[in-house]
Amino acid sequence: MSQTGTGAGATTARGEGHVRLRRFSLLAVPATLAGAALVVLTASGVLAAQFSISGMPFTVTADQLTGDGLEQYGGIDNAAPGSPNLQDTNGQELVFVSAIRQAELTNLCQSVSIGFTNLVIRAGQGSSKVQATNLVVDSDQLSGDASFTNMSIDQDASTLTEVPGVTGPLGTFGQQADTVSIKNLRQENWATTASSFTLPGLSIGFSDSGC
Amino acid sequence: MAAAETEPVPAVAPASRWRRFRLGFRAWRHRRPFWGGTLVVLGGGEILFTYKAPLPVVLHFGLYGLAGILVPAMLVLVGAMILGDPAHRTFYAVLAVLAALGTWLTSNLGGFIIGMLLGVLGGSLAFGWQVGERPPSRRRRRRELRGGADGGGRVGEESA
Repeated sequence: MSQTGTGAGATTARGEGHVRLRRFSLLAVPATLAGAALVVLTASGVLAAQFSISGMPFTVTADQLTGDGLEQYGGIDNAAPGSPNLQDTNGQELVFVSAIRQAELTNLCQSVSIGFTNLVIRAGQGSSKVQATNLVVDSDQLSGDASFTNMSIDQDASTLTEVPGVTGPLGTFGQQADTVSIKNLRQENWATTASSFTLPGLSIGFSDSGC
Repeated sequence: MAAAETEPVPAVAPASRWRRFRLGFRAWRHRRPFWGGTLVVLGGGEILFTYKAPLPVVLHFGLYGLAGILVPAMLVLVGAMILGDPAHRTFYAVLAVLAALGTWLTSNLGGFIIGMLLGVLGGSLAFGWQVGERPPSRRRRRRELRGGADGGGRVGEESA
C-alpha cells in the first residue's frame, strides 16, 4: 500500500491529474437538480427570464396581446459586420421599433431560424399568460387586428413618454398610446429585448416549421 | 528492433517542431482540468453570442439589463482562470456552476439551454479533477486485499 502511495506522489510532482467520478458528481448532481428546479419554476411562471436577441431574423406570434404603454417609431438596424444576413442592403434593415411597458400575451410562439432547423419557444397556452416588462421589439413586418386608447400619432419620436427610458431619434415620426390590444399578432423581428419575461407553460424545441 | 528505431528518424525530423508542440500541449493539458475549463469558456461564449443587446437599451434598464452580459462574461473569465490557475480550481468551478445556472434567468434562458449545460458540465468536471494517479478501481483494490502476496508483488513491479 505504501508503495502505491509513492507512485501517486511521483505523479503529483509532475502535477498531472484526472477527473474523479465521485467528486465530479458531488457538484454535478446538485447543480443538475438546481438547474431542473430553475426550468420548472420558469415553466410554471414563478421566475422571470431576461431576453435580448438581435441581428438575426425571427418570428413571434401570439393569439392576443394586451399592453399598457405603447411607443412606436422608425429606425435602422445594423447587422453585425461581416454577417451573411442583409448583404444586398449593406447590412442595414429598415425597421420600426415597438416598445411596450407592460404586456400580456396568450399562446406565444417564438421561432428563430438557425440554418438547418428552427428553434421554437412556446409559452402561455393555458390560463396563465406570458408577462413581459419593458418589451422593445424591432420588426420589419407586423400584422394583427389592433386597437388603441388615448393614441397620439405623429409625435416627435424623441419626445415619447409611455415607456420610460426608450425614445426614438430626434425629428422622426413616432406615435404612442396608453393601452394597446392586438389579436392574431404576427411579427417578423430583428431584435427583441425584454427586461423580464415570465413564460408559464414553457417548452423549447427544434422543429422544421417555424411559428 | 534497430531497423524500427532508425526508420522513423528521417520521417520525424521535418515534423519535429509540430510534434514537440503537440507533446508540450499534451503535458500542459494534463496538468490542469483542461476539458472543464474549456467547456466553461465555450458555454459562456455561446451565451454571449446569443445575447446581443443594443447597449443604450441595456443601460436604460439598469443593473438588471447589464447582468445579462456580465454573468456570461464572468463565465468566460472563470473558465479561463480554471485553465490558467488550476490551483484554485475548486473555487472557480463552484463560481462557474453558479454563474451558469444564473444565466438561465439573466441571458436568453442560458443561451437557449446549451451554454448553461456546457457551463454546469465544465464546472463539475473542473471540480472533480484532482492531481495524482487515478485511484485503483474497486475490483483491483478488492483483489489486492484478498491475495496480499500476489497483489503486493504487482504493485512493487509497477513502481520499479
